[in-house]
Amino acid sequence: MPENGKISIRQFTILVMLVTIGDSILILPSISSSFAKQDTWISGIIGLLVGLIAVYIFSALGNLYPKLTLIQAIQKILGKWFGTLVAALFLLFPLITIVTFTREMGDFITTEMMAETPTLAIQILFTCIVIFAVRLGLEVFARTGEIFLPCIILLFLLLVIFLIPQAEFEKLLPILENGIKPVIHGSFSFIAYPFLELVVFLMIFPYINQVRLIRKGFLQGALLGGLVLIILVVISILVLGADETARTIYPSYSLARRISIGLFFERVEAMVALLWMLTIFMKSTFYFYVFNLGLAQLLKLKGYRMLTLPTGFLIIVLSPIISPNITYYNNLLAEYLPYYDVTCYLLFPVFLLVIHFIKNRFKSSPDT
Amino acid sequence: MKRMGLLLCICILLAVSVTGCWSRRELNDLAIAVGLGIDKVGDKYKVSVQVVEPSEVAGNKSSGVAPVTMYQATANSLLEALRKMTTISPRKIYIAHLRIVVISEALAREGIGDALDFMSRDPEARNDFYVVIAKDAKAIDTLKILTNLERVPAVRLFSSLDTSEKQWAPTMAVKLDKLIADLVSEGRHPVLTGLKVIGDPKIGETKKNVETILSPADLQYSGLAVFRKDKLIGWLSDEEGKAYNFINNNITSTARSVNCPKGGKVTFRVIRSDSKVKGSIRDERPRIDIEVTTEAHVAEVQCSLDLTKPETIKELEKLAERKLIDLIDTTVARVQQDYKVDIFGFGEAIRRSNPKAWKTLKKNWDHTFANIPVNVKVHYKIQQLGKVSNSFLEEMKEQKTE
Repeated sequence: MPENGKISIRQFTILVMLVTIGDSILILPSISSSFAKQDTWISGIIGLLVGLIAVYIFSALGNLYPKLTLIQAIQKILGKWFGTLVAALFLLFPLITIVTFTREMGDFITTEMMAETPTLAIQILFTCIVIFAVRLGLEVFARTGEIFLPCIILLFLLLVIFLIPQAEFEKLLPILENGIKPVIHGSFSFIAYPFLELVVFLMIFPYINQVRLIRKGFLQGALLGGLVLIILVVISILVLGADETARTIYPSYSLARRISIGLFFERVEAMVALLWMLTIFMKSTFYFYVFNLGLAQLLKLKGYRMLTLPTGFLIIVLSPIISPNITYYNNLLAEYLPYYDVTCYLLFPVFLLVIHFIKNRFKSSPDT
Repeated sequence: MKRMGLLLCICILLAVSVTGCWSRRELNDLAIAVGLGIDKVGDKYKVSVQVVEPSEVAGNKSSGVAPVTMYQATANSLLEALRKMTTISPRKIYIAHLRIVVISEALAREGIGDALDFMSRDPEARNDFYVVIAKDAKAIDTLKILTNLERVPAVRLFSSLDTSEKQWAPTMAVKLDKLIADLVSEGRHPVLTGLKVIGDPKIGETKKNVETILSPADLQYSGLAVFRKDKLIGWLSDEEGKAYNFINNNITSTARSVNCPKGGKVTFRVIRSDSKVKGSIRDERPRIDIEVTTEAHVAEVQCSLDLTKPETIKELEKLAERKLIDLIDTTVARVQQDYKVDIFGFGEAIRRSNPKAWKTLKKNWDHTFANIPVNVKVHYKIQQLGKVSNSFLEEMKEQKTE
């Protein structure tokens, strides 16, 4: 076993919540509202409902083999050779996703804060911290999540409460101006980025203390994270308006810039930016952990820690390669990546479940 | 030992790499721009910035130098101009602390859209400055006038716009995001407040302007500029500006007088005002209902009125209502006839209430707007009389007749 630690159900729930918020808090309002306009909050609710169903499916898959990680479960369900092949393919998904996070982090900081710093410098530093956290193991960064949670909640409340005076409720009107179609379109990314990407939690099911409570914790975490995202979308539309939310690349940062209480509490955006830096850090760390753990299990290694440095280099090298410029990247996020997520993160587990049940029927039918 | 060495190496590496000083800028390398003026010369932008003179603004000592200095440059784009200024300025122009952006009327008539993109794109620029139009003047000239009370003229322009909007209400303090939202909206055209130089600008540019009690030259906000998309097409007067603010629920406080029934005037101080603009489609025709609820106190009486009687208050309410309705009616009618652009956001109101009908209406909205029926309703509530009930004028007159 490459991992010997165990985390409690509370830590698991917090981790799910933070990963749900993840990078979505930064990029999602803009992508979703470019389709759904002022109805993005409806997209958010649709996204949350569908997302919870997806989480339910994931936990159903996880509960079939509570003692095995997803990689091991794949090998068990699909057989040794085919299973190994599919598991290797599966490991590509978290890899691509971490690369996008690193890219987002670099892009965000060079766009909004440090224009002249090379993106690569930020990405290297960021990846260093992620490698460091992953080397310390699951228990440690689960506890990190627990410690950061009050800070994240505080920053989020700060962002929302201080902006309420600037909210204009008529910006939500008219509801369903262009019918339901754009709302559904806007909900794709709302389903994909926060919720479908949670499938990687199947990799840590064996390391959770109370197996019975996993499903509840999983759903709770996703629900809390989803609510945070919906509140953020609502406040961006109330304060910035649908047009500006869609036009701004990082609406959350624009929101933070708006905070101004009595002309003395203002210009706090760099502080508020800590909010998504923390959640993106948690999400990247978790994905990076999953990637290394999966790779170690696939290669039948005793530990995953020796993999972290080379895979870290891989990420730093890949993040400039994934897209040549920000327009390409934003296009990727808005138009293509949600469908990629649906294929890899939703259809794939469903496919595994179906194979499992077909196999079971074949196995059990001769007995009866 | 080996471990210690490794740790030391890591520490040194980190110390070099995480200091965050890649693009550091010290405060004394920056020229903090507080005002920005944009003019057009040919097809180039002439950009002028008002930069604070740090030693003059900090503390109480002043050495007699002007509190701000100005740099100007002409180039194809705003950023080019700002960067070109470094050939004159010893420091890089830093625009994060902008208070006011002045755009010349001539440029506004050609269209302000192109000049605004830089402001919304540049990560340094924030959204907390106001945009105004220099009326009958070049933007650069308005930024040259020295001012009293607030030593930095751009700060004074900022505060003055803020205060006049809140206390007198003929002006609109428009920030960039609101301006852009109006520019892209299909059911509303933007307005911006006008800024003019009064008095003698020649003296206004010299130290003399702040040496006398009555400044020979000063800056004054006057009127609202009416835009069709991003092109200025005309002006509203201060009184019409007030009507605009009444319609758009932008009144914090103002003062308004009405004629007394038997001659003379009585003035009210408006304490609160709330307005709702409702759009609807009746008999397949769009119509607008404006409902204004205003709370006011009697502030100044210059005629004979018996304020101890409830009927008088009722009568005054009627008079004030009538006058406000007239003001709003004539303003709307003038905009409909003279400018034919929907600056009041009536289109937005229809879009919100009936998105389906709006889809067909929006294609020809400005034309429809010019003929749309507008129904104004005002509820004027007079609640307080100030420190006295009947005016001493009343008694004075009685003594005379005796």
